[in-house]
Amino acid sequence: MGELKVIDNNEAGETAVQYIVVKIGNEQYGINIQYIDNIVKNQRITRVPKTQKYYKGVINLRGEIIPVMSIRIKLGLEADEYTDKTRIIIIKVENATIGIIVDQVNEVITLQEEDVEKVSHEKSDDANGYICGIGKSKGELVSLLDIVSLIAEKEN
Amino acid sequence: MDVSQYLEIFIDESNEHLQTLSDELMVLEKEPENKDTINEIFRAAHSLKGMAGTMGYKRMQNLTHNMENVFSEIRNDKMKVNGNLVDVLFRCLDALETYVDNIRNNQDEGTDDNEPIIKELNDFLASEGKTSGPAPQEQKSEPSEAPADEEKSNDVALADFEKNAINEALKKNMHAYIVHVFVDTTCILKAARAFLVFKNLEGHGDVIKSEPSVQDIEDEKFDFDFSIVIVSEEESGKIVNIIKNVSEIKDVQITEITTPFASEEPAVVETVKEEVKSEETTAVEKKQPAESKKAPAAAKPAVKPVGRSVRVDIEKLDVLMNLVSELIIAKNGLVSASSSEEGSSGSQSFHEQIEYLERVTTNLHESVMKVRMMPIESVVSKFPRMIRDLSKKLDKKMELYMTGEETELDRTVIDEIGDPLMHLLRNSADHGLESAEVRAERGKPEVGSIFLNAYQDGNNVVIEVGDDGNGIDVEKVKRKAIEKGAITEEQAALMSEKEIVELLFRPSFSTADKISDVSGRGVGLDVVKSKIEALGGAVEVKTTYGAGSTFIIHLPLTLAIIQALMVRLGDEKYAISLDSIQTIEDIPVSEIKYVHAKEVITLRGTVIPLVRLRDVLDVPGEPEETDNITVVIVSKGDKQAGLVVDSLIGQLEIVIKSLGKYININKMISGATILGDGSVALIIDANTLV
Repeated sequence: MGELKVIDNNEAGETAVQYIVVKIGNEQYGINIQYIDNIVKNQRITRVPKTQKYYKGVINLRGEIIPVMSIRIKLGLEADEYTDKTRIIIIKVENATIGIIVDQVNEVITLQEEDVEKVSHEKSDDANGYICGIGKSKGELVSLLDIVSLIAEKEN
Repeated sequence: MDVSQYLEIFIDESNEHLQTLSDELMVLEKEPENKDTINEIFRAAHSLKGMAGTMGYKRMQNLTHNMENVFSEIRNDKMKVNGNLVDVLFRCLDALETYVDNIRNNQDEGTDDNEPIIKELNDFLASEGKTSGPAPQEQKSEPSEAPADEEKSNDVALADFEKNAINEALKKNMHAYIVHVFVDTTCILKAARAFLVFKNLEGHGDVIKSEPSVQDIEDEKFDFDFSIVIVSEEESGKIVNIIKNVSEIKDVQITEITTPFASEEPAVVETVKEEVKSEETTAVEKKQPAESKKAPAAAKPAVKPVGRSVRVDIEKLDVLMNLVSELIIAKNGLVSASSSEEGSSGSQSFHEQIEYLERVTTNLHESVMKVRMMPIESVVSKFPRMIRDLSKKLDKKMELYMTGEETELDRTVIDEIGDPLMHLLRNSADHGLESAEVRAERGKPEVGSIFLNAYQDGNNVVIEVGDDGNGIDVEKVKRKAIEKGAITEEQAALMSEKEIVELLFRPSFSTADKISDVSGRGVGLDVVKSKIEALGGAVEVKTTYGAGSTFIIHLPLTLAIIQALMVRLGDEKYAISLDSIQTIEDIPVSEIKYVHAKEVITLRGTVIPLVRLRDVLDVPGEPEETDNITVVIVSKGDKQAGLVVDSLIGQLEIVIKSLGKYININKMISGATILGDGSVALIIDANTLV
């Protein structure tokens, strides 16, 4: 359904994008809906030894093995606390599927182009490198995650 | 005609024909008088030409056509086969292969006309063939007829000389017919069928006219019907039968021309025209524009490489289909068993259904495996040709002996194993076999033998590649290694012969004194080794200086599903491939000894280093203090290691899955699998720990 709406809006000549708003730590983050394949409840994660430290391990999603990333560690926040609101967002980028652990999934918002403020990339801050813009929705600010750079980067 | 849907078939079949040509040419070189061989070659070349023409690959068709001319000369004893000719023909095959490769990659044959090769072929024809012979007549008839007809419009309008030919024939009490042939609409290679029609009519009469022209028919520029005018002594029924003998010919309509043509009698000509027009022109005119529209359209879109395919026996698919339907039945059984669970009978039927399900899945697994299996023949069949070329290039006499080509391996392995095998064979030919003088000195037969044996050994396939040549000069390897700084002299003194031979598998290590075209750049054996290890296999060498060497490759039958031992480390479960496990031992802690501050155990006289998996894998938590430790003894080649685990869970058949590309995995983890409870267990590659 989400995708349909986006197409409708595009036909109307507007450039609206839908985001899923998630809570990580005390902040709200938006993830572009086009990358999202699925949202699943937290499940048993199998630890993978000697990998990047922000990968918590792998899960089994309907017979497919999917690496799960802790976005908190990646953004330099404190380690995850698992509650019954914890969710794993399954993201598909460039033919690869990856899970991202978030504290809570809040809502879906639609942002027009004018609601999004681009941010300059200052690499000084860990988190800033993965933010591609700040969205304003109902008076609140949502940091929009740059999913591709968040996932594609590979530390060796 | 849109031919893209036939592309896969075309590529498959072209490769088959090319292989046949290559095989038979090898035979022909040895037995130039063998009629069966030359006939086989002719057939393959002809099919290839027809197919290339059908698909509109003009350059490929042209080259095969020229080859066919040569074959035809040979077949008619007009020409003798010699080494030079075979060389040129092999170069033709290479050129054809390049065309097919180009077509596979971008659906286009490329722009190389290969004129030099064609010229060479024609030089052979000119020097040896007598152009007046009957053979070239067949070939000539096509081009000579084509230009005459091309400028004509679509109807069967007969030129004066053709009318005269008919008149002549009628005078001689022969019959003239207009034959309308309909090809079956499901026919893929209609040009080939049409060609057969012409071929079969040879000797029964003269085709004086065809519509569309012979060239167009060969180029498949016709829909599913064409007309020919033929003069013959035979009755019309006979002609029809001859044509109908060609398979995939749907129908033949025949009209006899009884009245001689006269230039003053336009009326008769008109009737003939009318007659033919009614049958013909509508069809011809309809398709002509349609075709010209389609042709560019088909060429343009989707310039993507053609996918790889496996040909699967229909029977195997039927078995699969049956199993899947059984699977559904089993699932339904489970559903009904779970809904009637309350009674005591529920639990029993539940178990029955699970047993049923188990049986079905095991069979399903086996069948799918079988579908993926291919004989290694598809890889090794190109080697005889390669050895022949090498033999000429290196000026050494050698013969390749192969056994076990029917041994089957998983498709993924088959795809990857070709290059390593080729490397090893080249090595044997270049480094392995001595020059003729040395061989004579050593009392060996002049012709060196290289062999390739494949056979199945339990869950492994073994491929041996070897020669009866020089063998590996261990001293020379040692000297080179020290020279290159790979090892120190002290190390060298301590190394066993086997260890020194192993050095050959190190990157950039070549003992050849001079670099040749064939090998000696030192990028061989290490690549071979890494490739084979990537396939989950192993390679070892056996060599006797002066008597030859053999490389032995062990490959797993299949990659996707393995038998594994499940072990527990803390709260985590891991799988270890059963193939690498030798034994499992319970060892009292008191028996652990230390060598160089490393833990070892002595088992039946062998000292085996211990690997604490908990430490290697950073398993959280502390192990319980026990009097005994459980050690899984794994081996790689003749080296062993003892993996210390907390406890054993049992043996399990597991499906190997990849972890995805963004997560970095240590090489000791070879993949992951999903257990019965849905949790994920990692698979330990024991080879990396030995």
